[in-house]
Amino acid sequence: MDSLFGIPLTSILVALLLALGAIFAILGVIAWRQPLLVRMGLRNIARRKQQTALIVIGLMLSTLIISAAFATGDTVGYSITNEVYDQFEEADILIAFDGDISEFGDRFLTDEFLEALSAEFADDPDIDGITGVLAEVLPAVNLEQRLAEPNASVIGVDPDTIDDFRGLKTLDGELIPGSTLGGLRAYVAEDLAEEINVGPGDRFQVFFEGQPTDFEVIDIVQSTSITSSDGGSAGFVTSLDVARELTGNEGSLTAIAVSITGGVRDTLDLNDEVADRVEDFIAAHPESQADIFFTKKEAVELAELIGSIFVTFFLIFGLFAIASGILLIFMIFVMLAAERRSEMGMARAVGMQRLHLTESFLAEGMAYNLGSAAVGALLGLGVAFLLVLSLAQIFSDALGFGITFNFNWQGFLIAYSLGVVLTFATVAFSSFRIANLNIVRAIRDLPEPQPLRGADRSIGGLLKSAVGALWLVGWIVVLVVSAYFTILVTVLAIVGVFGNLPLILEALFSGAALMAVGALMFFGARTVGRGRFMDMQGWRTWVLWALWIMVFNVVAAGVWLLQLSRGWAGRHRNAGGWAVIMLILGALFVWLSGWGLDALSAFRGQAFSYTGGFTLAVLAVAMLLVYFGINERLSFTVAGLGLIWYWILPLPFSLFLDLQSVVGGELDPIDGVLRLLGLPRPGHIEGNIEMFFVSGIAITAAAVLVIILNAEVALTPVRWLGGLLGGIAPAIKTAIAYPVASKFRTGMTLAMFGLVVFSLVVMATLNSNFTQAFLSDDAAGGFDVAVDINPNNRVPDLREALRSAGYEPDASIGGAGRLVSSYPQVRRSDDPDGDEGYETYHLAGMDDEFIDLQRLPLEHRAAGYDSDEAVWQALRTDPGVAVVDATRLQEPTEFGGDPNQPGNFFLGVTDHDLRHQPWEPIPLTFRDPTSGETVELRIIGVLEPQVTSVILDFFAIFTHASTVEGYFDGGEWEGYYVVTAEATDEAAIETARDIESTLLELGVQASSIDKLIDDQASTSRSFQYLFEGFMGLGLIVGIAALGVIAFRTVVERRQQIGMLRAIGYSRRLVAISYFLESSFIALAGIAIGITLGLAISYNLLASPEFTGGTEIDFQVPWARLAVVLGVAYGASALMTLLPARAASRVAVAEALRYE
Amino acid sequence: MSEAIIEITDLVKTYDTGEVQVRALRGVSLSVQPAEMVAIMGPSGCGKTTLLNTASGLDDPTAGTIMIEGTDLDSLDDNTKTSYRARRMGFIFQFYNLLPVLSSVENVELPLLVSGTPPSEARERSMAGLERVGLAEWADHRPGQLSGGQRQRVTIARALVNDPAIVWADEPTGDLDSVTANQIMDLLIELNESQGQTFVLVTHGREIAERCHRIVHMRDGEIEREEQLVG
Repeated sequence: MDSLFGIPLTSILVALLLALGAIFAILGVIAWRQPLLVRMGLRNIARRKQQTALIVIGLMLSTLIISAAFATGDTVGYSITNEVYDQFEEADILIAFDGDISEFGDRFLTDEFLEALSAEFADDPDIDGITGVLAEVLPAVNLEQRLAEPNASVIGVDPDTIDDFRGLKTLDGELIPGSTLGGLRAYVAEDLAEEINVGPGDRFQVFFEGQPTDFEVIDIVQSTSITSSDGGSAGFVTSLDVARELTGNEGSLTAIAVSITGGVRDTLDLNDEVADRVEDFIAAHPESQADIFFTKKEAVELAELIGSIFVTFFLIFGLFAIASGILLIFMIFVMLAAERRSEMGMARAVGMQRLHLTESFLAEGMAYNLGSAAVGALLGLGVAFLLVLSLAQIFSDALGFGITFNFNWQGFLIAYSLGVVLTFATVAFSSFRIANLNIVRAIRDLPEPQPLRGADRSIGGLLKSAVGALWLVGWIVVLVVSAYFTILVTVLAIVGVFGNLPLILEALFSGAALMAVGALMFFGARTVGRGRFMDMQGWRTWVLWALWIMVFNVVAAGVWLLQLSRGWAGRHRNAGGWAVIMLILGALFVWLSGWGLDALSAFRGQAFSYTGGFTLAVLAVAMLLVYFGINERLSFTVAGLGLIWYWILPLPFSLFLDLQSVVGGELDPIDGVLRLLGLPRPGHIEGNIEMFFVSGIAITAAAVLVIILNAEVALTPVRWLGGLLGGIAPAIKTAIAYPVASKFRTGMTLAMFGLVVFSLVVMATLNSNFTQAFLSDDAAGGFDVAVDINPNNRVPDLREALRSAGYEPDASIGGAGRLVSSYPQVRRSDDPDGDEGYETYHLAGMDDEFIDLQRLPLEHRAAGYDSDEAVWQALRTDPGVAVVDATRLQEPTEFGGDPNQPGNFFLGVTDHDLRHQPWEPIPLTFRDPTSGETVELRIIGVLEPQVTSVILDFFAIFTHASTVEGYFDGGEWEGYYVVTAEATDEAAIETARDIESTLLELGVQASSIDKLIDDQASTSRSFQYLFEGFMGLGLIVGIAALGVIAFRTVVERRQQIGMLRAIGYSRRLVAISYFLESSFIALAGIAIGITLGLAISYNLLASPEFTGGTEIDFQVPWARLAVVLGVAYGASALMTLLPARAASRVAVAEALRYE
Repeated sequence: MSEAIIEITDLVKTYDTGEVQVRALRGVSLSVQPAEMVAIMGPSGCGKTTLLNTASGLDDPTAGTIMIEGTDLDSLDDNTKTSYRARRMGFIFQFYNLLPVLSSVENVELPLLVSGTPPSEARERSMAGLERVGLAEWADHRPGQLSGGQRQRVTIARALVNDPAIVWADEPTGDLDSVTANQIMDLLIELNESQGQTFVLVTHGREIAERCHRIVHMRDGEIEREEQLVG
């Protein structure tokens, strides 16, 4: 894997390593300047072992998740890449007939083209082999054992040129020369050999147009691209002449393979260059109608893309757990600070500076961090290994190839560095916050005043505070930039020393300059500002100051001003200032997203910044209200409820796709207000998968705010209930009182639990509903059995064929609809590009019986067709109309294809276009690529998306069979869709088996559609469980948080426990109180997660834009949720038992002895 | 003389710190009559608090017997001892030991709830208790919002709310200024006289001790002498 989110991994790694270097440098400076502080920090680690263990678990989780995501992605990418190399062997470029540009004629490449190509590149040193192959799919049967493979690939290869490709190998890996081919003999790939159970010397038959041909097995060979026509079908290899004779395709080739000089894995660098030359040759020979169909490089890149998609998926699904982990780290350090508050107050009283306290906490935090990140990264590999075990099973079942565990150091190092950097940032922020204490209040352990209430509530005071807050932002930027450049320069210099001379010079030059900037910015401002640089006083300082200004001009002056105003900023900075900054930022984000600025176009139209900015602004307004004296509970409750209302609205989730098209801005509060005032309205806003995360964070935060500020009211019923319970009533009283009083830590824990449960509930609900909707009966289209007919052994009448083979169909088959298919070129009749706009797509012709039997649901109908039945009636009677599957409406996406690129046919209208206004039938022109004949059909309906969930032949434009047969030479292949006489699953399976075995020689393949749906649902569920399991890692964070708090409170409340025991609380009552306390938090978190998760899932599933138009009957997967929530609560309860037990065993007299 | 409500015989308490054994009580014998108010005095580390903790059942003795209202504490299991404390004893501590997360009235009602009193009755009696100590108006305030003297009054209300036979007080005025300390002592004496409850006080202050019926002087884990003051 080379990139993530489009950024090269090397760049990510270098940036992170630089940051890591900066962190180590900062720690080094702290250790050098303040060894005592480091010792203080480190000694605290050994003081409480259980707590240390929980902290380490909390800290390592983020790294673990990142590491597991990378290793899983690496594994998937590596395994698919391996599969690509195994398949392609030495074939690097595959040339095939280009259906889209066909100018009518035969649909094969020719020997003449192959000869011309070979002659052209005979002396090309970059090409060491060119060969042509003929591939057909035919049924292969072992008549003796009555075993058949209906779709075996017959590959005819040229014995003279195939050796250059090294694709024919025995199972032991020995190369087989092409010269051993000849006559009706074949090398059988191991998957086909297994299917029809043949070995060397055995015989098997293939059927072409009903005529059998006997082949003798020379040997069993490895499955490669040479032994299968499309990389998937099991096949056998024979000589080109035999294959041509068998299929009657004299002088024809299906594909030409080009081998680039070199081996299997070392030719990718040359690929583009050689492909360009081949492309030029093809362009010079348009009569060949050839095209480069696929290259090994493309396949490898695709494999790597799939790997990176896996990493992205796992990272995005892991974001909730990572966010919870960060909250946990923050909370741990705030709690540690609370524990040592009076110690710290004392330390400050005897002369320790705030920075010293910050440094001490940083040292302690980073000691935990550096170790736990390493453990986390290693454990991440273990988790990835377990994930891979599950993936291997799914891949093997669904894709037919295995998975090999693999990771590279790049991903591992990124995970480690990212874990360390994230934790460092969190620890640094919390340490800074901690160190900002009032000495007297800390020593006397008095409560801190309301932090949001402003002392100077004038506008001027607020502005000063905002400037003070901005000052800190500026100062942090200066520090970070200085440290970053210093480290960058050091690294450049080191790289330069071991590199070449120009680089050394470059590094030294830039190093010297940047080092000077960094060092002077970092130290200069401090020392010069205080006038004691190298003990210089008076005029010397002024000279230095003047020089410094001249050299570093504005930047230096800025830093200088920052330094000068440090005291002023510190005095005026308070929460009101931060609220102003939040408000400005929030408004800025909304404006940049809704209206935009060319310089910052990255934000334009982005839903996350639009909704995130609005959320930030609302919270800032609430903070400002408190600042000006409004009641905190009232302000934040109103703000929280407002945000919940905002996020629960369908609006933000419609942003997943298209704001304007969904609601026309009607439900957007910002837009509504602006429209009311007649002001300019926001532009087109769109969101993607990241909205899942943004919505989760925003809505959980809002809900936690509301609950925590109103907990006393919310818990009134529990109090009443407690009164009825008699014996444990006192335990309930204390169990409620503590979390209600400790709003910060309760809120943080609620948020952690709520976030993770929210993510799990949304995932489980969406997965379950999608599986149910897409793999429902609608996917079967009203049929029970799908019968695929081999194109080379056509069956014009299924019943007749069965009767001829001795099977009486009427007993088991209630109906059999025929779908005859062709693959013509198609374009919109009004396509401005005219004939240039042709693409190929599947045209399926339904016979009357198919139309009568089908239960295919329609998503859209053209004007004039009032019911589904009207559409189907038109299809029966009018050969000029058609319906199309919903995938042709999809908008271009990164993975779904771009309609502007050749190869993809799209209708040119979106789901929204058809949904919100009546539409006239859409005329399409079809052209037969062989004859050039055209026919126009009008699209009068669009099928629902779930129609294409299981049956691949339903990706099609459906018209009447007579149209396909009449205009496209009887069609290229057909399939039958059977309704069994008895409507049971068993009848479907039995009928499919009977049809397949009766028509064995024709290569007919029949499957129970219900079973296909079940198999697909099973694979889909396996993937879902895997992702849900991965997300469930976040639960460990929530559970660890409860554990940390519970252990912490036993220590904190030791004396109180002693008192409770003294006045009559039994050990059991103390334990119950502790247990209930944690349970209340866990259950409240679960309740938040489940309520919000279900609300948002409902909104998403009710939005046609999100579901692609599929109407989903929303169902809550209670059983699945019960497992998730049961595990969450069960584990948290177990985690609380230990501290509850510890609390109950506190020695009363000793506990009471100390304050 | 009536039967003693507290009868301590040869009480020994040894703390094992791992490295050394500290003999905090070395065979203390003490008898306290019902409604008596006894002060225990002595220098720091003489074993005053250990005697109070052990005699009240908060800590287990190493040797010796403690008879409370004729019951040998050693014969009770932890649950029974706890329940007995809830019903028959009250405690007042130097540092108040109130739950900071509960209001005054909630703190006071805790012992009642523990001993199974219905919540409404517990609330009523707690309010009455606060009334008695002059803090009815502060019932809904949390300890953090009260002064030291007020907090100690809440502790006293809590100690007396279940109408205990014995009230154990460990330095009840130790954290208060002299004026407030005297006010608290006035309150304790008034309650002792009006309710007839037994008070055992540990104190450093001679002035406080002199307001009791008897002073027990301790030194090095033993009773050095007793001083009968009134009655």
